[in-house]
Amino acid sequence: MQKLMISAVAASLLALTGCSQTAPDMAGKNNVSDANQFGDTVSIDENKYGNEAGAGSRFNSSSDGFQSIYFGFGDYGISGGMESRINSNAGVANNAGGSQVKIEGNCDEFGTDEYNYALGLKRAKAVKDAIAAQGVNTDKMVIVSFGESNPVCHEPTDECYERNRRVDLRLAR
Amino acid sequence: MKHFVAFLLMLHLIISNVFGVDATLKIEKDVEQRARVALVDGSTVPNDKFFDILQSDLKVSGHYLADATHHQDDFASNALSPELRTKEYVIKYTFSSENGAKLFVRVLKGSEGTEVFKKNYALPAAEKAPFLAHKAISDINNAMGYPDISWINRYILFSRYTTAAHSEILLADYTLNYQKVIIRGGLNLFPKWADENQRSFYYTSYAGLTPTLYKLDIYSGSRQKIVSSEGMLVCSDVSKSGDRLLLTMAPNGQADIYEYNVGSGSKTRITTFNGIDVNGKYVDDENSMVFVSNRLGYANIFKQSLHSQAVMQVVYHGRNNNACDANGNQIVYSSRESSNTFGKNTFNLYLTSSSGSDTRPLTTTGTNQFPRFSPDGSVVMYIKHSGGGSSLGYINLESHQSLLFPIRGSKVQSIDW
Repeated sequence: MQKLMISAVAASLLALTGCSQTAPDMAGKNNVSDANQFGDTVSIDENKYGNEAGAGSRFNSSSDGFQSIYFGFGDYGISGGMESRINSNAGVANNAGGSQVKIEGNCDEFGTDEYNYALGLKRAKAVKDAIAAQGVNTDKMVIVSFGESNPVCHEPTDECYERNRRVDLRLAR
Repeated sequence: MKHFVAFLLMLHLIISNVFGVDATLKIEKDVEQRARVALVDGSTVPNDKFFDILQSDLKVSGHYLADATHHQDDFASNALSPELRTKEYVIKYTFSSENGAKLFVRVLKGSEGTEVFKKNYALPAAEKAPFLAHKAISDINNAMGYPDISWINRYILFSRYTTAAHSEILLADYTLNYQKVIIRGGLNLFPKWADENQRSFYYTSYAGLTPTLYKLDIYSGSRQKIVSSEGMLVCSDVSKSGDRLLLTMAPNGQADIYEYNVGSGSKTRITTFNGIDVNGKYVDDENSMVFVSNRLGYANIFKQSLHSQAVMQVVYHGRNNNACDANGNQIVYSSRESSNTFGKNTFNLYLTSSSGSDTRPLTTTGTNQFPRFSPDGSVVMYIKHSGGGSSLGYINLESHQSLLFPIRGSKVQSIDW
């Protein structure tokens, strides 16, 4: 017991001695003696957080002069970055004469069953409403959800998944 | 050191006794209730694949402890080896697939070698041989007085993606050893049996401008257009009599659940929520339905009477419960239990009741989705995804026996049986 007490006191003294040493001032007021501060650091890809337009905005899988609208994960709201595409699509639709515009909602591969098709539908409906708000007659537009069935990209990458979360527009034939 | 080892041993014993009792008792009880059986192949050319199918049938029933050895011996003889005499029953059979599939079966009592069952089976199409095995085992099971397992004789119906915007619909036996593409060309989704006898099924075709629901007779090939809807269209459930359907439709761009009267062609809108309502399944003697909705901001399971607007939350567990099935008052649902935006996620299956009580997990690891009850509610079928691919899984709810059969080829879109 006595030996144990002596050991404990010795250990405490050693620890105190260590703490009393002056840390090198390498980072202003910060104490850099904490080893955790020098552990592994992360490296992030800013693109993974997306931007207003979305990485997918560089792409287009629509036809007949329309431009695809891209969405965030599990989202069916139209981002600010997509507004110019909505305006452009409204112009194309108004110049389409008597042709109907088919608006196709699509999802990435992470949903299952009926729910994913309903999500694709919400995206198609959001685009239809946004274009209608630009003065396009709703009778000219028909919406269809393809769920996860119609991917344009098959690679297991974030950018690829984003390209699949989209609404395509084309003239109905 | 000795004291430390003794302490660890004592700790192990205490933990084993306190926490291991229930599991041990349960296993012993299950083992006692199952009959020990062996299969003896008397075929001219023994067939390992057919033996495996018979083994699967015995195992998934939950009523037998089947010997894993592929015994081979004379079919007609009643003499049994000392090893086989320790079994309660010995199933002797001969199988051939020349000029159609033929199966002769005899069941002997292991202790006495006396014959207690005998039957011959034949099908002109040799590729349907798995159904001979299923029929023989379900007949033997009935003859022994065990609860019915005739669900193993039923067709599985599933759709799978082939390329972008293309799919095919297949018929299969429950082990997937028999498979036949029944619809190919274009995008055809969500197959659902139209009647209990599995003579016809509903499916959604994307051939036209808007999704259209068709009914196909699998024997005559006659196809009948049922209804079309802008947006999406899914036949989620069929009433027992086959005269009412629960459809997810979006005639105004809004996914809602409708009840469709097959005789009159009239439809009644059941849900009116301005979000996502899908996956309606009849419960409570078909007076109510359970369904998936995001009305609380995430996918979850709810119940609504078909005759009123009152909605009840059924599941109070998980934050993403996006698929369910129902049988009587039983409900099975899949719950996403990890939050990786991309990549692998854990999805587990849970069993509960239409009132939300008696919830218990059916799976504890992996990605388990598309739960579907057998017609008698005794077994849950599901799709399990793992690093090596996908499998069709079965969980016997009474015996807790489970089986997995690998799915080769493309991603499964939807499944029914």
